Amino acid sequence: MEHLLDRDAAQQNPVDFDHHSAGHATNWPATFARIRANSPRAWSEHHGGFWLATRFDDVIRIGQQPEYFSAHKDYDPATGKIGGGISIPPLPGLRGVPNETASPEWDGVRTFINRRFSPKSVEAFRAKAQQFAAALIDEVIEKGEFDIVEDFTNPLPALVTMELFGFPLSEWRAFADPFHKIVYTPRDDPFFAETVRGLDYFNQRVAEEVELRRKDPRDDLLGHLANGTIGGAPLDAETIQNLAFNILAGGVDTTTALTSNTLIHLAQNPEDRERLRNDRALLPFAREEFVRYFSPIHALARNVTEDVEVDGWKFRKGERVLLAYSSANRDPDVFEEPERVILDRFPNKHIGFGAGMHRCVGSFLARIMFEAMLNEVLDRIPDYRIDEDRLVRYPTIGNINGCIHIPATFTPGKKVGAKIA
Amino acid sequence: MKVRVDDGLCQGRAMCILACPELFDLSDEDGHASVRQADVPRELEAKIEQAVRGCPEGAIQTY
Ligand code: HEM
Ligand code: SF4
Repeated sequence: MEHLLDRDAAQQNPVDFDHHSAGHATNWPATFARIRANSPRAWSEHHGGFWLATRFDDVIRIGQQPEYFSAHKDYDPATGKIGGGISIPPLPGLRGVPNETASPEWDGVRTFINRRFSPKSVEAFRAKAQQFAAALIDEVIEKGEFDIVEDFTNPLPALVTMELFGFPLSEWRAFADPFHKIVYTPRDDPFFAETVRGLDYFNQRVAEEVELRRKDPRDDLLGHLANGTIGGAPLDAETIQNLAFNILAGGVDTTTALTSNTLIHLAQNPEDRERLRNDRALLPFAREEFVRYFSPIHALARNVTEDVEVDGWKFRKGERVLLAYSSANRDPDVFEEPERVILDRFPNKHIGFGAGMHRCVGSFLARIMFEAMLNEVLDRIPDYRIDEDRLVRYPTIGNINGCIHIPATFTPGKKVGAKIA
Repeated sequence: MKVRVDDGLCQGRAMCILACPELFDLSDEDGHASVRQADVPRELEAKIEQAVRGCPEGAIQTY
């Protein structure tokens, strides 16, 4: 296949592609299949113009060259001017740290947090995740019905994240809701302002708890933010805010989206549900396959720092490029039968957690939360049925491919007496 | 057959551990992979081939 391209021709024949359009949300696999086949290195005129990388090899190569393709965001709170970053169009507000930084800032921050997210460190949260999952199912098990998102897949990652930070668990809803709702609430919706206030509240609580830990150190993430050092110096207030924001935003709704979509798939494909229920050793492989198939983070941007060529694809300084992880994960050059869920697909070199240095720091924690939720459902309410008529997906999936409501019913059962706190 | 991990490319995504837990370890520091021994026993060669094909970053090399 010939993928070299004449950049001017590509820019003169743009594809009509907008990852934030309602049409894309319902049709994205077919749209990407068409673009990958006809113009895998496409130019879109939407949102000020951007390159679209749809093939696995291109996304990996660009992701692995952060010196030319930077995620760094400039944000001046005084003027509101924004440049760069990982969103197309650029998002107002905070800068994600480490996601929207470049070296050397990135190296310092990643080293600062890596240890707290290593496989061994996050293993400590497995028992908590299981306890929360059991407690959330206890809440609904006698009724025989629940909203999978509201009652289960949204609260659980929020609770685990509260525990990780060291926030009082009773505050979880105030934190989880804004990060879930801001993803799908249109900016002109009156409710949008409320979700933004929710983020302000989060920032305020981080500052308060950090202050407390300066006086009274504790071994939690807030304590690490308060008393840890990067390059020998304590973290400044802005870095603390941006880092806490990135960890909350990166971890909560992504894991919610992954688990929600998986539970829909298992309800619609009873043979897969039975197979997983009877063979939990399959779960780690299925988990990776669901990350590949649903790609909760649909696509993220990079910013070209100087003129550069990648395998014949020429970029100019200042251009933006969207890395479509969701499309790369269904590239038929890399994955056999990419449009099918194959529970035991292996090897499975998906890049649903990103590629290159910004690759997800929280993937081990995400995997633990996902497995806790899946095991709880398969053990206790394995016959759940989804009311498809009342299922509500995100109207747009340009940020996260998730769901708002998944009403479901099941044969009622008994509580096990699990408590959240 | 010998195997090594290119630490410059490895991003610690742990696909190698799924393929061949016998030969790979993940660091507590940054999650990056290392090999317990470079020499691949015959009975693990197939698993190592899988690890090579399963690493998204192309960080595992056999030689
Ligand atoms: C299924 C769940 C998750 C998915 C699909 C996911 C996906 C991703 C992706 C695609 C990136 C790369 C961003 C880029 O290319 O610019 C990323 C980065 C990141 N993720 Fe996750 N993530 C998940 C869960 C989590 C969790 C649980 C946390 C933390 C509690 C987390 C924290 C982060 C952070 C801090 C980054 C930025 C890393 C850096 O820039 O070095 N994520 N994630
Ligand atoms: S699969 Fe590749 S990137 Fe991942 S930990 Fe193993 S060697 Fe590193």
